[in-house]
Amino acid sequence: MLHELAAEPNILRIDWVKFTFGVIALAVVYFFVARKAVPKVMKVLDERHDAIEGGIERAKNAESEAEEIRQQYREKLEEAHREYAQEIEKAKEQRAAIIAEARDEAQVEAKRIIDAAKAQIEADRQQAVAQLRAEIGTLSTELASRIVGETLSDGAAQTRVVDRFLEELEQDESAKQAEVR
Amino acid sequence: MSADVRILAAEPGCHLFGDNGCGFQAPTIKMFFPEPWFDGIPGSAGIDLYLVLLLVAVGAVLLLWSWFSKKLSLVPGRRQSVGEMLILFIRDNITRPTMGAKGDSFIPFLTAVFTLILAMNFTGLIPGMIPVNSNLAFTAMFALTIYVMTIVIGVRNQGGWGYFSNQLFPPGMPKIFYIIVTPIELLSVFLIRPATHALRLFATMFAGSLLLAVFAYGGWYMLNLTAEPMLAAVSVLFSGAALIGYVLFFLFEILIMLIQAFVFTLLASLYISQSLEAAH
Repeated sequence: MLHELAAEPNILRIDWVKFTFGVIALAVVYFFVARKAVPKVMKVLDERHDAIEGGIERAKNAESEAEEIRQQYREKLEEAHREYAQEIEKAKEQRAAIIAEARDEAQVEAKRIIDAAKAQIEADRQQAVAQLRAEIGTLSTELASRIVGETLSDGAAQTRVVDRFLEELEQDESAKQAEVR
Repeated sequence: MSADVRILAAEPGCHLFGDNGCGFQAPTIKMFFPEPWFDGIPGSAGIDLYLVLLLVAVGAVLLLWSWFSKKLSLVPGRRQSVGEMLILFIRDNITRPTMGAKGDSFIPFLTAVFTLILAMNFTGLIPGMIPVNSNLAFTAMFALTIYVMTIVIGVRNQGGWGYFSNQLFPPGMPKIFYIIVTPIELLSVFLIRPATHALRLFATMFAGSLLLAVFAYGGWYMLNLTAEPMLAAVSVLFSGAALIGYVLFFLFEILIMLIQAFVFTLLASLYISQSLEAAH
């Protein structure tokens, strides 16, 4: 019994050969796994992380860019609206100005035409009066000479008589008009 | 127990209800001392099954990681995802909680340690084999590596005096307490901590595979189809119960192997974190 127990191996004894092989095993695994394989996988993990981060970053940039463009578009639209309104306003003003100008011009023209017509009429009247006066003179001279005979053939005397006669006639005329008023 | 009994137990005919009258021979710690094929090395048990299983474990780890790390792409396939999950598991459950973001440089080392320990535990799942970590030499090797690392990192980060004084004279307490605290810290940090680090993994692997062996041996012992029909039926029932127990404890053992590999790595990370900067 006793020698059996003594022969019983000690489980807590550390076998230096196993220990050494353990160190070698850990060294080999460290070299191939911790130095090679795991960093390779971790690198890809980091790259993917970066790619995702980059994607989010790009999306954010695109979003802000779109927002900027939308803002610009909105501003341009507003500006266009404003310009349009201004144009309309200007056009209205221009229209009013054109109308006013045309009206003025038309009035001036009308006045000119009227004035010209009046002047023409006046001139015609003057002419008619002069002509009439001359004709009346001639007619009345002729008439008088027919009545009086050949006595008044002297030209100067004839004219003087006619003029006096006409003046009296005119004075009569205006006196009558005054009475009517 | 005498030598005669052990010889009888080794005979195939030793079963429950057997006529040769031999009793059940429970597995002993002898199972953790396989016959060496070469034992000419002084002070050592020599080259035995453990070193072969170690080779298998290392080969498995290297194969696994070369498989995980080949043909990597930004859009990972299933294979790559598993490798990444393992690394992220180490990061999110081991290095980040203990060391924070500055512990990220230890992820490769701790991933290697975790997978190697796991593979060295899993050799115990091969029928008839034992976990490599059921031998203290291997767990002591891991613990000593971490121990040396913590001291080197501690001295490098806090200075020689800074590291040891932070460990032995924890700041923020009345000086008189150092009479009690300093010897305790000296013992716990520099002696007990590495010892328990190694022993915890060793003991669970040792006990777990011993338990599985008991169920396997017992089930085989209780199965006796050559006995009288009634007794044969009873023996089948008994060994069936042992088989169920074996399967349940086998599954349980897988869990323990995972947990112990995780715990060992977590503690390694915790010890390194205390070297990176003074606690409290």
